Amino acid sequence: MNSSLARFLLLAASTLFLLSLPTACERAEPISYKIPKEDRLVDMPGAVAQAPQTPADPAANKMQVLPGMEEAAAQAGELSYTTPEGWEALEASGIRKANLKVSDAHGSAELTVLAFPGDVGGRLANINRWRAQIGLEASKPEDLPAYTEPYSISGHGGLYIRLEGLEQSILGGLLPFHGFTWFFKLQGNRETVLANEAQMKIFLDSVRLEDDHH
Amino acid sequence: MKTLFTFFSSLKLTVVLLSFSMVLIFFGTLDQVHYGIWHTQKLYFESFLVVWAYPQEAPAYEQLFWLRIPMPGGYLLGGMLFLNLLAAHLTRFQLSTKKIGIFLVHFGLVLLLVSELLTDLLAVESQMPVDEGGRSHYSQSYRDNELVLIDRSHPDYDQVHSIPATLLKPGERVDVAESTLSVRTLSYYPNAALGRATSGTPLETAANRGVAVKMGIVVTPQAETYAEDDINTATAYVEVFNGEDSLGIWLVSNVIDERFPPQIVQSGDQSWEIALRFTRQYYPFEIELIDFSHDKYPGTEIPFNYSSEVMVHHMEDSTKSQKALIYMNHPLRYEGHTFYQASFANQDKTSILQVVRNPGWLLPYISVLLMGLGMCVQFGMHFFKFLGKRS
Repeated sequence: MNSSLARFLLLAASTLFLLSLPTACERAEPISYKIPKEDRLVDMPGAVAQAPQTPADPAANKMQVLPGMEEAAAQAGELSYTTPEGWEALEASGIRKANLKVSDAHGSAELTVLAFPGDVGGRLANINRWRAQIGLEASKPEDLPAYTEPYSISGHGGLYIRLEGLEQSILGGLLPFHGFTWFFKLQGNRETVLANEAQMKIFLDSVRLEDDHH
Repeated sequence: MKTLFTFFSSLKLTVVLLSFSMVLIFFGTLDQVHYGIWHTQKLYFESFLVVWAYPQEAPAYEQLFWLRIPMPGGYLLGGMLFLNLLAAHLTRFQLSTKKIGIFLVHFGLVLLLVSELLTDLLAVESQMPVDEGGRSHYSQSYRDNELVLIDRSHPDYDQVHSIPATLLKPGERVDVAESTLSVRTLSYYPNAALGRATSGTPLETAANRGVAVKMGIVVTPQAETYAEDDINTATAYVEVFNGEDSLGIWLVSNVIDERFPPQIVQSGDQSWEIALRFTRQYYPFEIELIDFSHDKYPGTEIPFNYSSEVMVHHMEDSTKSQKALIYMNHPLRYEGHTFYQASFANQDKTSILQVVRNPGWLLPYISVLLMGLGMCVQFGMHFFKFLGKRS
């Protein structure tokens, strides 16, 4: 009996030791310490204009180009399209396949075309990413029909997406095409985007993707 | 008491616990797709209980969305295994020379379990980017943030008052260490997108001081990301008080960093720089990057070596200064910290070192040695007994 008591005590002690460990680790507390004098890199307010984190167009802020992205995008092939009336063609650079801009009295909107290998996380994930960019809550799969419709792009079955945010809106096309997913996204001022819906459809209808599989 | 002891020392318990561990690893691996390794580790292995939910992308989600599987987490399983092993030892094993090998193996295993727990609790990881020709004396976390108020008025040093971001809870007021200031958090976003308010729309901001007002910055909260190569833009609106006087409300975010003019909190003739930044750890030594090499196999883009040639300058004791070459599997161990070659940037001009402080780093080595030794002893004894019998 005595030895079993000793064993129990030992067991209890080690349990206590184990349970006390998580509380023994460093607690988050306000602290104060001295460091050698630092030189601020930027003290001139003028330098702020070049600060890369807050470009005038928030849409440009969203895409972080990771290593390998450009190469992957380059494999998707090229596309041809007609620039709708009143839209301005910008230079496509980096991972962008095409880049257009439209402005009106309300503001401006930018159209970007991107292509990535695979399904890039799936239809819903990508649409929810766009929704988040204009401050909308993530959507459930059963709500998709409310703002998407099947749409033929370059003769293949794609999806047309219409997202209205408070300040910004997105009109988009999404097309799985020979192992790649193409994203056509018009994003910008809410009114500008919505006023250009007809033009956006004209643009999507004009898109022809390079197709070496037929 | 006896039944409790029989329960903890039973071999059946070991089998059940090991089976649960396999289940945990299986579901943990499944969920790694959503959360990345870091969050999965927290969720599954550094917890007592975990509930697995049927994933959205899986087939028949519409029918099975309600499916939840609760299971014991890593701490619970590890702890139970630890007790199980200990209890089994106390009941079954007598310390005799015959059993010394088995004893060593099990002791090594217990030590391994303890060292894992210690690593979980005590290890701190951070990153130190250094430019070629440049020096750095601090590293920064890539997940944890701190709110800092820096007093630069002293000619010899800067005084940093830091509040961990985990204490920034909306509505709560936190006293700033070693000062009369306190900070009340209005809102805190673990991740957010910051942008300029477009012309024409009114600027909606809680801030009344600093860069948010001057540049018209608006905040759009975002879902937290767990991806490995993504960072969360922690952002907060904070009100600073000196005693009971409000000094203003600032927008702080870890992207409003050195590229921006400092945000200044002014009270009388005293001033502090305020910023939310990745938690920094300062060292009493500087690491100078002499050269970073990124060697490729000739004629290809395939790398075969990344290495950083560094000089460590100790600020207080120059005899401790030393040169080192850090490369794959050859970290620099210095003053309780380990510096690994982690990454590089800036066209091979910046090397990024991973800094790990793990007080228990030696324990796994010892435990593996003990287990190896135990096995050698045990099998060796049998082997020599067998040889003896034959002759």
